[in-house]
Order: sequence, then C-alpha cells, then structure tokens
Amino acid sequence: MRCPSLLSVSATVVLSVVPTLLIAQEIDYARDIQPILSENCYQCHGPDRKARKAKLRLDVREMATAERDGFHAILPGKPEESIVIERLLSSDPEEVMPPPKSGNKLQRGEIALIRKWITEGADFSRHWAFIPPKRPSVPKTTRTSWSRSAIDHFVLSRLEQEGLAPSPEADRATWLRRASFDLTGLPPTSAELDAFLADQSPSAHAKAAERLLASPSYGEHMARYWLDAARYADTNGYQYDRNRDQWVWRDWVIHAFNTNMSFDRFTIEQIAGDLLPDATDQTRLATGFNRNHPITIEGGVIDEEYRTEYVVDRVVTTSTVWMGLTMICSRCHDHKFDPVSQKDFYSFFAFFNQVPERGLNGFDPRLKVASPLSVGQDTILGNQIADAEKIYRALLLETGGSHDVLARWEKTLSKRPRPTWKTGVPIRMTSEGGAELKALDDQSVLASGKNPTTEIYDLLLTKNSRKPMRAIRLEALMHPSLTNGSTSRGTNGNYVLSEFEVTYKLADKVHRVKIATAEADYEQQNYGIEKAIDGATGKAGWAVDGNTKKANRVATFLFEEPIPAEAAVRVRMIHSFGNSHQIGRFRLSVTGDQSASIPSAIQKALSLAPPKRTTTQREQLRNYLIGQFGPPELVKIAAKLTSLRREKAGAKTAFPATMVMAEKPGIRMTHILERGEYDKPGEIVGANIPSFFGSLPQNHPADRLALAKWLTGPDNPLTARVTANRFWQQLFGLGIVKSSEDFGRQSAWPSHPHLLDWLAVEFVDSGWDVKGLLKQIILSATYRQSSRISPGIHTRDPENRLLSHGPRMRLDGEVIRDSALSASGLLQPQIGGPSVYPYHPDGLWMELNNRPGYSRNYPHPKDPKNLYRRSIYTYWKRTVPPPTMATFDAPEREFCMVRRSRTNTPLQAFVLMHDPQFVEAARFLAQRMIQKGGSSPDDRLRFGFRTVTSRVPSAGELAILRRALNKRLAHYQADEPSAKTLLGIGSLPRNENLNIPEHAAYTAVARMLLNLSEAITKG
Amino acid sequence: MDPLTEHHINLTRRHFLQRGTTAGLGAAALASLLNSPTIQAASRAEKNGPGYRPGEAGPVHFAPKAKRVIYLFQSGAPSQVDTFDYKPTLEKLDGQNLPDSIRGGQRLTGMTSRQKSFPAAKSFNKFTQCGQSGQWISDMLPHHQKIADEMCIIRSMYTEAINHDPAITFFQTGHQQPGRPSLGAWASYGLGSTNANLPAFVVLLDKNSDNQAQPTYSRLWGSGFLPSNHQGVKLRGVGDPVLYLKDPTGAGLQERREMLDVLAELNQQRFEQVGDPEIATRIAQYEMAYRMQISVPELTDFSDEPESTFKLYGEDARTPGTHAANCLLARRLAERDVRFIQLYHRGWDHHSNLPGRHPKLAKEVDQGSSALVQDLRSRGMLDDTLVVWGGEFGRTVYRQGGNATNYGRDHHPRCFSIWMAGGGIKGGTSYGETDDWSYNIVDKPTKGVHIHDLNATILHLLGIDHKRLTYRFQGRHYRLTDVHGKIVKGVLA
Repeated sequence: MRCPSLLSVSATVVLSVVPTLLIAQEIDYARDIQPILSENCYQCHGPDRKARKAKLRLDVREMATAERDGFHAILPGKPEESIVIERLLSSDPEEVMPPPKSGNKLQRGEIALIRKWITEGADFSRHWAFIPPKRPSVPKTTRTSWSRSAIDHFVLSRLEQEGLAPSPEADRATWLRRASFDLTGLPPTSAELDAFLADQSPSAHAKAAERLLASPSYGEHMARYWLDAARYADTNGYQYDRNRDQWVWRDWVIHAFNTNMSFDRFTIEQIAGDLLPDATDQTRLATGFNRNHPITIEGGVIDEEYRTEYVVDRVVTTSTVWMGLTMICSRCHDHKFDPVSQKDFYSFFAFFNQVPERGLNGFDPRLKVASPLSVGQDTILGNQIADAEKIYRALLLETGGSHDVLARWEKTLSKRPRPTWKTGVPIRMTSEGGAELKALDDQSVLASGKNPTTEIYDLLLTKNSRKPMRAIRLEALMHPSLTNGSTSRGTNGNYVLSEFEVTYKLADKVHRVKIATAEADYEQQNYGIEKAIDGATGKAGWAVDGNTKKANRVATFLFEEPIPAEAAVRVRMIHSFGNSHQIGRFRLSVTGDQSASIPSAIQKALSLAPPKRTTTQREQLRNYLIGQFGPPELVKIAAKLTSLRREKAGAKTAFPATMVMAEKPGIRMTHILERGEYDKPGEIVGANIPSFFGSLPQNHPADRLALAKWLTGPDNPLTARVTANRFWQQLFGLGIVKSSEDFGRQSAWPSHPHLLDWLAVEFVDSGWDVKGLLKQIILSATYRQSSRISPGIHTRDPENRLLSHGPRMRLDGEVIRDSALSASGLLQPQIGGPSVYPYHPDGLWMELNNRPGYSRNYPHPKDPKNLYRRSIYTYWKRTVPPPTMATFDAPEREFCMVRRSRTNTPLQAFVLMHDPQFVEAARFLAQRMIQKGGSSPDDRLRFGFRTVTSRVPSAGELAILRRALNKRLAHYQADEPSAKTLLGIGSLPRNENLNIPEHAAYTAVARMLLNLSEAITKG
Repeated sequence: MDPLTEHHINLTRRHFLQRGTTAGLGAAALASLLNSPTIQAASRAEKNGPGYRPGEAGPVHFAPKAKRVIYLFQSGAPSQVDTFDYKPTLEKLDGQNLPDSIRGGQRLTGMTSRQKSFPAAKSFNKFTQCGQSGQWISDMLPHHQKIADEMCIIRSMYTEAINHDPAITFFQTGHQQPGRPSLGAWASYGLGSTNANLPAFVVLLDKNSDNQAQPTYSRLWGSGFLPSNHQGVKLRGVGDPVLYLKDPTGAGLQERREMLDVLAELNQQRFEQVGDPEIATRIAQYEMAYRMQISVPELTDFSDEPESTFKLYGEDARTPGTHAANCLLARRLAERDVRFIQLYHRGWDHHSNLPGRHPKLAKEVDQGSSALVQDLRSRGMLDDTLVVWGGEFGRTVYRQGGNATNYGRDHHPRCFSIWMAGGGIKGGTSYGETDDWSYNIVDKPTKGVHIHDLNATILHLLGIDHKRLTYRFQGRHYRLTDVHGKIVKGVLA
C-alpha cells in the first residue's frame, strides 16, 4: 500500500539503516534491476500472457531488446535509444510508465539505476534462485582468529564490509541453553548445565551438540516445525471439523528425524513412498504428508469441487515446502512475476491428481500401518516374551517333572463335580425406590409400579442349603412389561448395576462378604462387572448395552470366604446411575459347591476337546490350572507372559488406518481449469515440472516419484537452498532469505547470498545430512555470539540480518509450555502415539459447534499421560486450535505455513499467568526448589531461577526475588486459605509434606519466574 | 542527495520493510513508540507489520463515515422472502413449479439436486409497511419494523458459494478456502485501535438453540497471513470473558500488582543488560493485561445499566450469551471505541419445517438487533457506527421436501437480503431488487451487490480504500477484495 503522506515518516527511520546495506557498487540485475521491473512493470509486461500489454515482455532479454518497428524497448548500451527510459521519464500522463492509475511510480534513483544498467549493456542474468547453487569460494576476512567455520567467513566478510565487528562469544551456559532449545525444544537441566560447564575440553561444545542431536526430543522438536508446513491436524477442518487419525504419520516424521533420514530420502518417501520400486508399508505411510489437507463432510458439496481443492492444496504445499515458489498465483492465470504459466500449474497439478479419492468424505485411500516408533517396541516385547517363555518352561518342568503336568492338572480339575445352583425367592424383598416386587412362577422377581430414577433392591435370601454358601448367581431376565420387552426398567432398556452388595448376620453381628471375583456373560464397554463389586456406587457399574442388544444376562459372584450355613444372607442390588436404569426382573441362585468357583470361561474351555480350543482359551485354561495347582513363581511368570503377549498383539492392532497417497488404475486426465474453477476444464495437460526448469527425464513415467527425484536431483536450484534457509530461520529467527516461503522474483533479497549457496551445496554434498548441517551451524562462531543488542546496532540493523550478534527471539508456544513442564519436572517423556488432551478452557469446542452427533466436548482427562506430554502431541482441532498455542502465534493448520509470526500481546500474559498448566507447573517447580534447591531461601531461589533461565541470578535479581518471597510468605502465613487455593490449582494434589504457606510462597515466586521475559526467550 | 544514493535508500527500504505494503502502514507504527526511548520503531514495524499499539489509531485514506463496525452475522442464512424481500408476486405464484427459464441451469446443492419438482412457496407470514419510509418488513420481525427508517435493506446481495463452510468463509475473509485474513483483522491491521485497554477486534458468539445449527470456525475471525495480533479476541458469555483473564487463584488487585511489579523490575534489569526491545514491549503488554483485568469485567458487568436498557433490549439481555445480551455488550464495546465488533448468531439453516423454526430464530434476534440500533441512535452514536446484519446466502423460493405448510428452503446464493444502518448509510431505503420469484437479481450488472462489493463498501465507510489496504505475502499484494469490489454508492448517505 502506498500512502505518500507516510513515506516521509518511514524514511527518517530507514535512513539510518541505509549505510548498513549500501554495498552495491556494481549493478547486479537480480538484486538491483529485477525487483524494480517486477514490482512496477511485470503486471503488464511480464510472464502472464493474458495480461500482457503491447506485446511487450520485460522479463526475458530477447523480447525486451527485440526490434519493434524500428525501435527498441531496451537497446543495450544505448539508454537514449531505449523507449523504456523515455516512457519512464515522460511527464505526459498518457505516455508515462507505469501508468498513474496503477498506483506505481518509479523514484528518480530507480530510473537512474535502470539507465546505468542499460548503459552497461543490460545484462539479464536469471533470477539467482533459479540457477543451481555452486559452492562459492570462502571469502577472506581481515580478522582472522574469529571464524570457526566457513559459515563465519561469509558472515564476517559481510560485517567487515559494513565496518562492523561481531559480538563477543556468549557465555557457555547461554550457548547450551540456545543449542538445547534449538535442537530439542527444551531448556538444559541443571545437571546438563553442570556437566557442560565442567567439561573444559576443546570438544565440549561438539560433545554437547552430539548429545542433543542424539536425544529423542530432537526428533519431536524438528517434527513440530514440519507439522506446520505439512498442515497436520487431528481434525478434518471444514464445517463440523470432526476427528481424524493421522498421528501414525506424525510418528513417522519424528522417527525420520531421530534416525537422521537423509533429507532427499525424507522428500522422496513423503512425496512418492508408494511408488518406490521397493515400497514398504513404512514408505507408504510417509505419503500421508500429502493427505493432511482439510477434507469436507458437508452434505451439499459438489464432489469434484472439493477433490480439486485437495489437489490444489498439494500443489501449494509441495511447491512452498520444497521449491519456495508461490505456484498458487498461477492457478487462474499465468504467474505475474515468476516463470510459471497456468499450464505449468496444471502440469504440476497432474502429479497429484491421480489419487483414487473423493471430494466429499474423501478419506480413502487409507492404510493400517504400525508406527515406526513401535517397531523397536515390537522387538523389545518379542525378546521379553522369549525370555519369559524360557523361564516358564523351566519352571513347569521343575514343578511337574514333565511338560504333561498341565494335562494331569486338567484331568483333576474336570473330575470336580459341576456346581448345583439352588434357586429361591428371597424371603423378604424391599424396593427402596417404592416399586412393587413380585415373585413369578419361575422364582424370578418382577418389579412394577413406581419407577424411580434410582433404585436399591434389598433382599433377604432363604436358607435352603446346609452347606456354607460360596457363590451367588444373578440372572437378569426379559419381561414384556419392561422397557421394549427388555430386562430393564430404564428409559432405553439398559441397566447399570452400580453395586452388588452381600452381607450376612451371624449371632447378631453383621459381616460384609468380600467378593473375590465376579463374572458376567456380557459386559458393555467401560461398564464391566468389576464395577459392580468395587465398593463404589455412582454412575459406574455393570451394564449390558440393553438399548441395542436384547437378551437375558447372567452374572456370578464368588466369595473370598464361604458364608457359614446358618447365617442369614442379605443382598442389596444398588442402581444409582439414574434414568431408572434398574434391572426389572431378576432371579437369584446360590451354591455351596467348590466347583462353582471355576469361571465360566474355563468351564467352557474344559468342555471342548483340546484341538478345538482357541488360543485365548488355551492360555486362559493354562493360567487357571497353574493358578490352582502350580507354585507361586509359576503363576507369576504365566501371568507375565499373558500380559506381554497381549501388549504385543495390542500394539499391532492399535494403529488406526492412516490416509496415504496412491495412484488410481488408469489415468485421470488433467485439464487446465479456466479461472481455476473445477467445472471449467480446458486443454488437457500431462504431468510435468514447470517448463522453465526443463522437463523430466523421458525414461521414467512422469509421476510423483519422478517429481520427487527431480526435487532432490542435481539440477534443482531450489530444494537445498529453501531447506537450508528454513533450518537457518529455525535457529536465527529469520532466514537468509527472509521470505522463506517465496524464493521467486518477488522474494526478499538474501542477506548473505553466498552463505546460502554454500550451505545448500554443503548440505547436498553431505548426503543431505540434517543433523550434520545443524551441528555445523550450532558450532559456528556466528551462532556462538552473545545476543546482547547495543542501541547503535539496533537502530542500524533492527532485525540482525547482518548477524552482528547471536540469535534472540521469543520461543514458540509449544516450547514455552514444554519448558514450564520441564522446569516443574512434570514432563512425560513418552514418545509418539495418539494425540492427548492437556488443560483446555471449558466449552470452547461446543460454543462453535454443538450439533448433536456432529460435535463433542473437549474430554478433559485428568491423567498425567494426557496432561504433561510434549505439546507436539496436543490434540489439534483446526477450527479451535489449542488456545495456549494459538495465543503464541501457532497457525490453525488449515494450510501450509513455513513461517509463523511472532507477536507480543497482553493475551500471552494471561496464558502465562493464569492457564492452570502454568500455575500447576509453578507449584511443582516450587516443590523442586524446596526439596532439591538447598535449605536456604537464597539457594532455593537460585535453583529455581537457574532451572528457568539457565543462569545464576545476579545479586540484584536475587534480592528482588527474596523480597517477593518474604512478602508472599508473610501473606500466606496470615491467610492460609488463599495459600490452599493457589496450591489447589491443577489436577495433581499438593504435596502434603510441605509446609503450606511456604509451598505457596515459593509457588508464587515460581509463577513470576515462569512469566519472566527471559523464561520465554532464547537469548 | 545524488539519485543513485536516493535510489539505494528506496531499494533498501523496500528490501527491509518488505516493499510497499509494510512500509506504508508500518510507518504509522513507527510514529508512536513505547515510552521507553530505547524501543525502536523499526523493529516493531518489521516484526508485526502495521498494527498499532493499543490506543493508537492508524491512518485512513479519507475521512471516515464510521469509526467502528458492529456486524451481526446471521449464520446458516435467513430466508429473504420471509424477512426483508417483500414479494407480493408470490401470492399468485405460490405452489407453482419454478420455471426452468428462471432457474437457468442454476447449480443446486446435493440436498435438492435430486428433487423432482420445485414448487414456489410464498412467505409464510405477512409483511407490513413501516415507518415514514414505508419499507416492507416481515411481521416475524416486529422490532425491526420499528427501525425501518434507519435501515438500508440491500435486496440484491449475491455470492458464488452454495455451501455453508465456503460461503461463510467467503463472507468473512473474501475467499472461499481457508487462509485469508478476516474482515475484522483487516480493519484492525488498517486502522489500529483507539482503546488502550481493549483489543481492536472483538468477537461475540451467541448461544445456539437450534440443534441442527451449522458450526462456526475461528478462521472467520482469524488473521490469515497478517500478524496474529490482528485476530479477533472472543469475549465469551460463559467462564472467563477473555480466555485466562481471571487469576484462578483468586488473587486480588494488590497481589496482582505486586506480581507485575516484581516481574517488571526483573524484566527491566534484564533489558538493561541485553538491550532487547521486546522485553520492554513485554513489560508494557503485562501492564495492558492488568488494565484489561479491570476493564473487561467492567465491560461485561451490566449492573450499571438502568432498567430502561432491559426494557429496550428485553429481559433476555440479563442472560449472558443471548443475542440481546451480546447486542448490549456490543453497544458497551462501541462506547469504549472498539473498532470492530463481530457477532455470530447461528441456527438459521432450515432445510425442514422452516415456517416452524424461522420464527423462533427471528424471536431470538429481533429485539436485540433492533434495540442496538435504537440505543445507538439515542446515544448519538449511530452516526459513526456502522451496523451490518445478514447471513452467508439466501434461501430458495421453492420448497425443499415437505408440503404446502411444512417445508424447508435450500441454500440460495443468487440473491439475498441484508441490511445496514448507521455511519454513512442512507437509512429508510432499500437497494436492488429481485425478480417476481425472488430467484434472480434484476439488473445484476448495475444493481447486484457481490460480497466483495459489500466488503469494499464497509472499508470505504471506515475511510479505507479497499484497493490500497494490502499486505504483501508470497510476493503478492493481497487485499480483502482480491481484484474485485466496487463501492455500492447507492447505499451511502
């Protein structure tokens, strides 16, 4: 936007920056001329055929210098005869270029520059980023002792040209903090700091870098950036934005970074892992990258419209991430600035247009693949099982003299008589809810009449056995008078038996019967029979899906100790779920037979001939026999085997199907879409790279694999530069090319073009070694500089593009949260797996979408496995991104993003001060300060400060903290309830061994620490 | 200065301030700095682009008619023939099949594309001519009938999108697919804020009562590629009005002040050591957070409102999250000079039983919307406050399913009605008309109002030339209206 009245304001500020950058003595077309032409002329005289005026094209030398009716737009060497200059200088509004209505106007200096360029011969070199990088020679510098690597020579050379000196090296703790954040996304621990500071060897930095690169946290941290680029999320975006399961792909990314997969392989697998000649499920999994885009489920949409959008999204994402090209600009017309025609766009589109997918509910193709992070886990479990089996066999042999011992035990067991159940109507029956209980002919009891929302049946059993009682059987029976003819009086035909309570009275003393085990022939998910004997009432209990499955049900309750025969036995069936979820008709039977204790599953297994038993039945029977007849150590190992086997089997089946790329049979024709619209197909095009860059080799089909190979091939000018630039941006806050998403003609001029080329070539020559590249940068003198900003340099180079000091920037939201968790000791180290649900304000999801069946509440779990995992695992809902992250500039993930903004807002203060995650983290940091920081307040404050900032506080800082601590302590001593409130925030209970006011006072100070600007800054 | 040096200055400026866009507006940000002299403007301009410190107004291209916007978005799309597009012609056409000549190959949604016939349904309720202007307004909206002379009804709105997600995204961001900044974010970016204690762009979500309501999405008030401090801040009717506004420990003002002072002291020491201006900004932002902790509860506490307020807005206004309460809140925000107040009411998407369900929705919003306009008028604020009311598209004149008395209406992008009132708007008028069937716009080339036209007009009223409010991203100067948009002069006062 051009506001002439404002330019004067900005000029005063900019002026001071100028000498810093005034380096060009010779004219460089790409740097000096092309930006002027691109900004002011290409709209009408550039690559876009349709927008071109007067058939004049100024971005290609042949056309710009061609003779036109005896004239030349540009005549090299002769500005006087170049019409361009005449038109630029014209004062006639009809003649002058650019036309006034365009709003563009060249400065006098710009015209002078063009003139000079024409005089010098009008050299049209290609845009620098479109020429493959060559390894530049490392420049010489005056200062010789500073540089540690080639990187530093480039940086220093530029600084010296500007008459600037680099900053002194940062102290070692600062470097370790910086490197730890950059390589793992976590601050160094005190122990890591101590170890590093104690290591005086010259290789201390290198060793620390290697340790960080080898940490599993490295892959998590690197993957996080990739998720922004890959627009990864746990929901589908669009409309109701419902759940998807794509996290196995995320595991793939973490694994790839941790195993330092070469970046070319990383590229090829994600773009075309399904097309590799040696494709595996893991390489197919990698292609999930291009399926991470939003997918619609909105009923009325036109299928093809959305399918087209998905393909466009892949073009945009792929071209941004690997090529730094804004190909989207050529969706509707030829690119205005870069050599990408509309035809090129659709040729590129054709690569991604072959997926057998739909627009509406377009989730297929999908593939069930194990997480690569579990592959190792699988091997570990396999080994553990093998070990356990060895012990088991040895013990079995030892116990029985032979392996046949199991068969012998089985014989013994099957000789036990089957239990006989004696059924009877209770001698006294009361419904506490006021229902009428009536015995039927079959000795069952039917409830009718008043139907309360909750119910307790209080029953006194008949004494009809002379044997001690060992078990009770409860049958829930259907009856026409009950809801839908079911077993229940509930609103929907289901019941929840909250508790089955058995007591007996002997000699006027009431005894509670302990139920050893309970069994049911059917259990609803999360409503197992064990919930009916857990001593708790409430919503939990035994339920049977009675609303969908109508059947009689039976449950058996086995006592730990037999009830003496003469006792009076009382049963209370408690139904406290609500909605009248009570059993409507039931029958009770009792038994004194020992064999009643044989669980029904075992009885079933016993009744089958051994070859007919399933694996599970064999295992159940074996474990039962061992439990009945074997020694304790055998029981233990058998149980362990079972659980290991279960874990291994579960690990394999636990993975959801991941959306992946595939090619449909036959070819889907790709058309140029007029104005980019799905229903305006034009000319048919084949898959190809933009013609400006050449074309794909003829000996291979033009598919995604060919594209991926071209992207990582020796002639590609962009991939290595764009990638190295993004890593640089990660570490320094800004890329060498600031517009890391755009390397085209409108991109920002690189601050250190030769350095970028050097990094790119070095990266490729190293075999695309990502860890290697990062290590080189981390160890450079440039990176090691202090990040102190002197007022002078800030005025001159506010963004530190010259790198006269080390990087300094606010941490990303994820890193801020992870750091607080780390400082508090709450951080859960588990790697990979499904997304988790940390703290989240109530109701955020439902206020945007509360349509029944299409919406859900945020789950709010309370377990540490959900609350304290690293933020990369936080459930990402695109229409409501996690608020803590979003407040710190995390994107919605609705589209590819390679550069986040970095704002500084009051809402961020609210998060750090009031999000329970941070308040609770402060409480646990306080606990660590008290327990591990030493005994004196100063030591504890020092410990806390250092944990958060990686440095020791100055005397002045310590004094401020001490004062704050004492003030808080006095406050909480006088007002213990407010201390308790503070210590009550969060899901974990406070440590009751700590003195309440003291714990609270340290918590208050820890909150201040976590809110320090320094706490959220990499400096 | 010799031309070459001058050229380099400009070249440098372009390279450093991202040529064009950020240089223009960014300059305004430079002009006003934090009190600390060490804070350099350039850094802020560079990092955050334009965008202003709280309480800092940006430049405008010409004298604005409206200082602020209150946008009452009716998500799900109200039916034009049952609200503001009075069609006596339908009395005769009722029940007749929509002729192909009228439909003209119109793309239908997947919901009615398989329907065999398209019988027209006249409005299920009566219309009344209201006010001195004599505008026809549905009896379903009795309170709207009272503000007929304030309203400019645009009956010739149209859009290209036919499904909710793309249509509402189009309305609010000028693009059907996610990724662009929202209207409010553009306004915040372009105009800055005039309140030091509240965000420039505030979002209010009405509680929804329709169990088939379409959802909403945070991208609708997102900042797209603009710096994220321009995204709308939700003021919620439940829990903390602003996320994490309240100290969960219940700390009082004094305790919070004490914490801030310690923080400021420590941050200041660090700032003196390392010279990072971001630290000074951080100190200032904590101060603003502190002020917001006072200003937001004051804002949302209606106890200082007289009884007459609740008489005007209705008793609903006492219940947080209702449309009436949010309209009242919108007025209180406007009083505090918040630039852009975006409200969403969901639930108008009635594919079945529209005659039964539309009146319920109308009742939810009618009094609040109308009261807001009246209230602004009586406070003398309507002259510089623009109120916009409408949904993402219209609904078909033909019935979807059902029978003559119980039917739905499908989505209809070809014509629909919205209204505007206040700052710079010609009240008591209507603009554009539809054919006898309320199916097509009459004289669309001159009287049709596309979403881009509406957005251009809203920006115009705020004093912004929509063609000049741009942001450079991916090498392009993006703007809200893409390469389209014309000011709808006919609605301007």
